[in-house]
Amino acid sequence: MIGAHAANCAQWAGYSMSPIVLVENLTKEFRTFRRREGVWGALQNLFVREYLTVRAVDGVSLSIEPGEMVGYIGANGAGKSTTIKMLTGILVPTSGKLVANGFVPYRDRRHYTRHIGVVFGQRTQLWWDIAVIESFKLLKEIYSIPEANYRQRLGVFSEILGLNDYLHTPVRKLSLGERMRCDLAASLLHNPPLLFLDEPTIGLDVVAKDHIREFLKEVNRTERTTVMLTTHDLSDIEELCRRILIIDKGKILFDGDLQEMKKRLAKFNQVKFFLKDRAQVARLPLIATDGISCERVDELTYLMRFEREQHSSAEVIRTLVNTLAVRDILVEEEPIEDIVKRIYLSGEVA
Amino acid sequence: MKRHLRLFLLYFAQYAKVRMAYKADFFIAVISSMTATVLGFGFVLVLFSKIPRLQDWSFYEVLFLYGFSLVPLGFFNVISWNLYEFGDVYIIQGRFDRILLRPVHTLFQILFEKFRLESLQEVLTGTVVIAVCVQRLRLAWHGADYLWFALMVACGAVIYVSVFLILTAVSFWFEDRVGIVPPVFNMLTFGRYPLTIYNVFIQFMLSWIIPFAFASFYPTTHFLRRESFESLFHLVPVVAASFFVLALIVWERGVRNYSSTGS
Repeated sequence: MIGAHAANCAQWAGYSMSPIVLVENLTKEFRTFRRREGVWGALQNLFVREYLTVRAVDGVSLSIEPGEMVGYIGANGAGKSTTIKMLTGILVPTSGKLVANGFVPYRDRRHYTRHIGVVFGQRTQLWWDIAVIESFKLLKEIYSIPEANYRQRLGVFSEILGLNDYLHTPVRKLSLGERMRCDLAASLLHNPPLLFLDEPTIGLDVVAKDHIREFLKEVNRTERTTVMLTTHDLSDIEELCRRILIIDKGKILFDGDLQEMKKRLAKFNQVKFFLKDRAQVARLPLIATDGISCERVDELTYLMRFEREQHSSAEVIRTLVNTLAVRDILVEEEPIEDIVKRIYLSGEVA
Repeated sequence: MKRHLRLFLLYFAQYAKVRMAYKADFFIAVISSMTATVLGFGFVLVLFSKIPRLQDWSFYEVLFLYGFSLVPLGFFNVISWNLYEFGDVYIIQGRFDRILLRPVHTLFQILFEKFRLESLQEVLTGTVVIAVCVQRLRLAWHGADYLWFALMVACGAVIYVSVFLILTAVSFWFEDRVGIVPPVFNMLTFGRYPLTIYNVFIQFMLSWIIPFAFASFYPTTHFLRRESFESLFHLVPVVAASFFVLALIVWERGVRNYSSTGS
């Protein structure tokens, strides 16, 4: 049955290969009503409602190949979570086509959920009051995971994620980092080919983030699990994904290779330099001219920023060493955060 | 089916374990639940100390009906806990997401994730009261009566679940708590007394709009040998099945309308 579904979806889209996720012109509208304030307003609300239609996702098309790890980013309210919720079958799309792993998520939801793993960073998927291991046992029954597979996978996950210390603790007593690791393990116990992560590293410290990234890489490498993740932490994407999707106001702004995007969209270069001594500071204005900005990082460290089209790094460095006594120089690309910030602010990929 | 039975037992065991972790809390819940039940019976006693009969219903007949009304209601109370909190917990806080992400029917998860264990007391008390009444009324139950009894209890529980499921599903469309559940919940008490004592409007309402009479009154008429209600008694399984199907349809439409929360 699954095979037949997949064949069908490949046919209608005219793809020769079969992507694991195929989305065409996906749209989701929410109808909300304007709430009036106060007691009188609340009474009015009961009888007269002014409806507002908000289009959270607006004609999104994308396709993901098996084994890919795709980063899905966008500002708050851009439509990331709504897309993920449609892809996982939680929300029914207003219009558009959607096939994932051979299923139409909202229609075949109960069968489909056997083939996906889902982690929401903001909210646990585990039972709040019971011990982690008991939650896992419930999941084993829910997904009918054979005993041997369950033991093997639990063993591997416990080792990589270091779960053993708190397997017997109730979920509500775990720290955020611990809970996240458990949620991640829980989402993969039934070995789904497709994993959706919605802000999996939100609020985590550097060590926990690192743990989770390493784990995801490992799972992707050994099981060829397809991963789609949303995040606000772009270092997640740089660590994990080759491909990036940027959504803004419900529309896809960019879909492509991450390095390519950086090359195409990086506008600035930056040169970080370390002064020999404090006397040099007075001479700084001499170099900050003609579209070159210079800002202080710390006492002797400064950062120059300039447009790539306007200046070459070589020329800038030449002026720098001729003007100031400099101990060390680092040439850096524009950080991806800055590029993305520019895209969010302008609402376009220019 | 076998998987669902296993899952049910596992859910039940897990919940019981969590509940027993706070023994005093559970003990108090049982005591207060029993107090409420005993007070209810006390009212019947007081009533019959003033009057010899309620219309043409004797003390033990009314007691039988009162006892019978507790049994399906007790089962319903055990599994309906999440229905009361559904709008607040599952819709407004968005916890329904998690329910939708699992390959088990949404209703199974909502009804069986949490149990009001102390309400099993109502089932037990009701059964004991019925047994006493069967003795006193010399009803001489046969094998068939026990089967009818089991079927009627099941149908009654299904009717209660269906009615409240429909009311609960309303939260899929209206997030602001409209507050229709408490008045309907209060109507449950009508089922404890003979339907014939109420005016025609209430009789019609309890039979054909919110069919609580099919969960307590009509079933008991058979055991109390009131032949005039026999056809309505035979309608009980039909009413239960129809309302359950209706509830499922409304519920599924609600699920499709679920809009989750932001982020």
